[in-house]
Formats: sequence, structure tokens, C-alpha cells
Amino acid sequence: METKEITKDQIIDILRTVIDPEIGINIVDLGLVYDVSIKDQLIDITMTLTTPGCPMHGSITDWVRRIITMTIPDSTVNVNLVWEPKWTPDKMSNEAKQQLGM
Amino acid sequence: MNQPNSIASAYSPPFKIVAKYFIAAIVSFVIMSFILMINYNDINGHHFQPKILSITHIATLGFITMIIFGAMFQLVPVVLEVKLFSTILAEIQFWIYTIGVIGLVYKFWYFGSELSFTLPAILLNVAMFIFAFNIIASMIKVKNWNITGTFLAAAIFWLIVTAIAGILLAVNLDHPYIKINHLQYLKLHANVAFIGWVTMVIMGVSFKLIPMFTLSHGYDLTFAKWAFALINFGLFGINWIMHYADTGIYNLIFGITITIGLILYLIQIYIIFKKRVRRKFDIGLKFSAVSFSMLGLSTLLGFSFLFFEYENITNLTLVYGFMVIVAYISTLIVGQMYKIVPFLVWYHKYSSKVGIEKVPMLKDMFSEKLAELNLYLMCVGIIISVLSFLSEINLFLLIGFALLFISSVIFSFNMIKVFRS
Repeated sequence: METKEITKDQIIDILRTVIDPEIGINIVDLGLVYDVSIKDQLIDITMTLTTPGCPMHGSITDWVRRIITMTIPDSTVNVNLVWEPKWTPDKMSNEAKQQLGM
Repeated sequence: MNQPNSIASAYSPPFKIVAKYFIAAIVSFVIMSFILMINYNDINGHHFQPKILSITHIATLGFITMIIFGAMFQLVPVVLEVKLFSTILAEIQFWIYTIGVIGLVYKFWYFGSELSFTLPAILLNVAMFIFAFNIIASMIKVKNWNITGTFLAAAIFWLIVTAIAGILLAVNLDHPYIKINHLQYLKLHANVAFIGWVTMVIMGVSFKLIPMFTLSHGYDLTFAKWAFALINFGLFGINWIMHYADTGIYNLIFGITITIGLILYLIQIYIIFKKRVRRKFDIGLKFSAVSFSMLGLSTLLGFSFLFFEYENITNLTLVYGFMVIVAYISTLIVGQMYKIVPFLVWYHKYSSKVGIEKVPMLKDMFSEKLAELNLYLMCVGIIISVLSFLSEINLFLLIGFALLFISSVIFSFNMIKVFRS
């Protein structure tokens, strides 16, 4: 059976549903997602958090993995949490900046 | 597929143990506010009075230290990325500590009763030593040390000093022939408790949580490091002069050192706030802003005690204690609870449901309007209470304390809402 090709935009749209419960903004607009690469059914996501030692550490990567595998059941998801480059506020989208009153 | 990488849940202690400390603390807070209100007529004059000492210990041990224990069991593992050494010890500590607090508070209230001061003091010391051991045994395994860890380690040291000074005072009350200068030791016990233990914890935790809540970035922590050095130097100094030197000039030197340290800390907090990305203050940060302003005022008042005796204002020591315990520390705790408790409950109940069903935002877990009322009543209650202490009009004190009691009930109602959501 031929599987439908997964696109980067599709993954980004799925990631927009992962919302930081404290800030109320999704992780894509917060600028936490650094890279998405897709090779066949293997999806590699490189992302960060706003600060190391964040209590969300671990949970957000779990949610990312869960949400993608629920939407695309045949996929294998790999989440790399990185601290370099460091997250800075200018990585946020304009919508997110507006929402935070910047 | 990769195994889920649950770092937070692997490090966090069981929710049950943290919740137990938080609930006991919130109950103590409401009891303290209630007892304060119905005994308003007795809250004046010299601070060394049974009822005042009893209420002070409901606040400091039952509320403040209880909540710090719970918060540290949660935050030390998460912030320092290490597992808590033993949750069983945390559980045992809870019961020994709670019995110790009830015993001490009872004994202070019924000063002439048969129970000794030493017995509850021993229980409290055992509980605090268990706590110190549990946290230090966890900290030893930390791989990525940070500034929060340094402040918390120092705080634990001062907690133990406070506890030892406390037991000396207790033994002295039971057996006055030991002849230590009781009021001098009491002053040391209080200073080390509020500055060394509570404030050192607040400082360490604030450097982690305030930037996290405000999304603050791009500041350096030079002032924090100087604050740490000066405050600890000053605290060692006041311990030293108690035992080896005359007060006088040394008292002044170490008092000034601590004051400068506290001011540098406030400057550091101001810098972090200034660099925040999240411009709007939510309820937790509004409480925190009130608290930091009150820390500033309390520091100035404490500093002035180095130069003036204020013989005409009998209630000023009470005002100072009230400012520190209620205006500075309690407002901060209440504010931080509006941030931390919803997060913990949310994490416990909803983290596994993200993506599967609709989950609430943290701010939807309690009534924001009631939280605003909580803040407003607490501020007005504090202002009225301080003014009535100074004017010595006791009826106003009843109004101030009643407002504080109502605000504590609103707070606990909101916390129940969070726990039940």
C-alpha cells in the first residue's frame, strides 16, 4: 500500500496544537521548534524550551511525540531537545509577541 | 518508536507528598488569620507574649516553613535535575514536624501548662534535620549545578542554625538557670530564620521562577552573587558577635552588610522584571510585585533599628514582624501558590491527556476575579493593620485582621478549586 507523503508544513501545523499551558501560546509561535526533517516515515524534530530546568521539560517533548503519532500513526518521531542556540524572545512570531504585549 | 523521554516526571516526587505539605500550610494560614482576628485585642505592646509567640509560630512553622518544605521537594528535583533522595523520609518528616508545630504552638499559647517547650522543639529539630539530610543527599548527585542550588544549600544551613537556636531557647524557657540572654538569642533566631532561611529560599527560587513566569532574558546575575556574599557574610557576623564579641559597632557593620545585600537582591529582581518579554502582570506576579515592595520597606525599617530605638512607638517591633511575615513573605507565597499549585495539579491530571482531549489552561483552574479580590483585600488589610498598630486604635486592628482573614478564606477557596479541577 502506498502511504501519503508527509510534509514539513503538515508537521508544523500539528505542532501548532501543542500549547504551553502557562503562557497560552503554541510552541511553533513561541519559536521553540528549530527544525523539522522528514525521511520516509521518520520525523526528526529539533526543539528547545524557554529556559533549562523548566518544569515542562520532558512533558512538552512527550506531547509532541504523542500528538504526531496520533495524527500520523505510521510515523516514528524523534524529538531532540537542544539548548544551543539558546531560545531568545526574538524567535517568537509576531502574533506571539503581540499576545504577550511586546 | 522511541520511548517517551519523561524527564520531568522522572525527577518530580509523587504529587501526593507535595500536596500534603501545601494543604497543611494553607490550613495553617487560615487558622493563623482567624486566631489573629479573634485575638486582636491582645496583639499589642512587647512582642514577647504567649499569644503573639504562638501566632508567630503558626505563621512561621505551620504556614511559611511548611510550604517551603513542599515547594523544595518539588523544585529541587526539577530545577537541579536530580531525584529526591527519599520520599519516605519526606513523609516521616511531615508527621514529626506537624506534631512538633502543634505542640509548640499549644505550649506558647498555654504558657503555664505542664507540657515542656523542649519536647516539641526536639520534634521540630528532628524533622528539620531529616529535611536537611534528604535535600543534601539529593543535591550531592546534581550534575548541572546552578545559582538556585547555591542559595538553597545556604538556606538549609541557616535552617539548621535557626533550629538549634530554637531548641536552646526552648530549653532555656524550661530551665531558666542556663542563663543565656534570651531576648538576644530570640533576635538571632528570628534574623537567621527570616533572612538566612526564608529569604535565601525566596531568592534562590525567584531567580528560577520569576524569569520563567515573565519570560525574562538577557540579564546577568552579578547583583544576585553580591547579595549572596553580603547577606551570608552578615549572617555569619551576627552569629559571631552573639558569642564572641560585644555588639555595638559590629552589630552596625553586619546590619549594614545585610541591608546592602537585600537591596542588591531587589535591584536584581528589578532588572529581571525590566527584561521581561511578557509585559502583562498576571495575578501571581501582581502579588510578587507587592511582596518585593514590602521587602524593600521592611528592609528600610529593619535598617533604621540599627540607629534608632523608637522608644515612643511601642508597637514598632510588632509592625516590623507583621511587615516581614504578612506583607512580604505571605503575599509572595500566596502569589506563587497561584502559579505553582495549578501547574502541579495540571501536570498530575492533564499532562497525559494533551492531544487526546481538551485540557484547560492554568489560569482557568481558579477564579481570577476572586484572586484579584484576594490581593486587594490582603493589601487593604495590611495597610489598615499597620496604621492601627502605629495609631494604637484597636478597633481598626480588628478591621485589618478581618480583611486578612477573609482574604485567606478566598485564597483557600481558590486553592480547593484548583485541587478539584
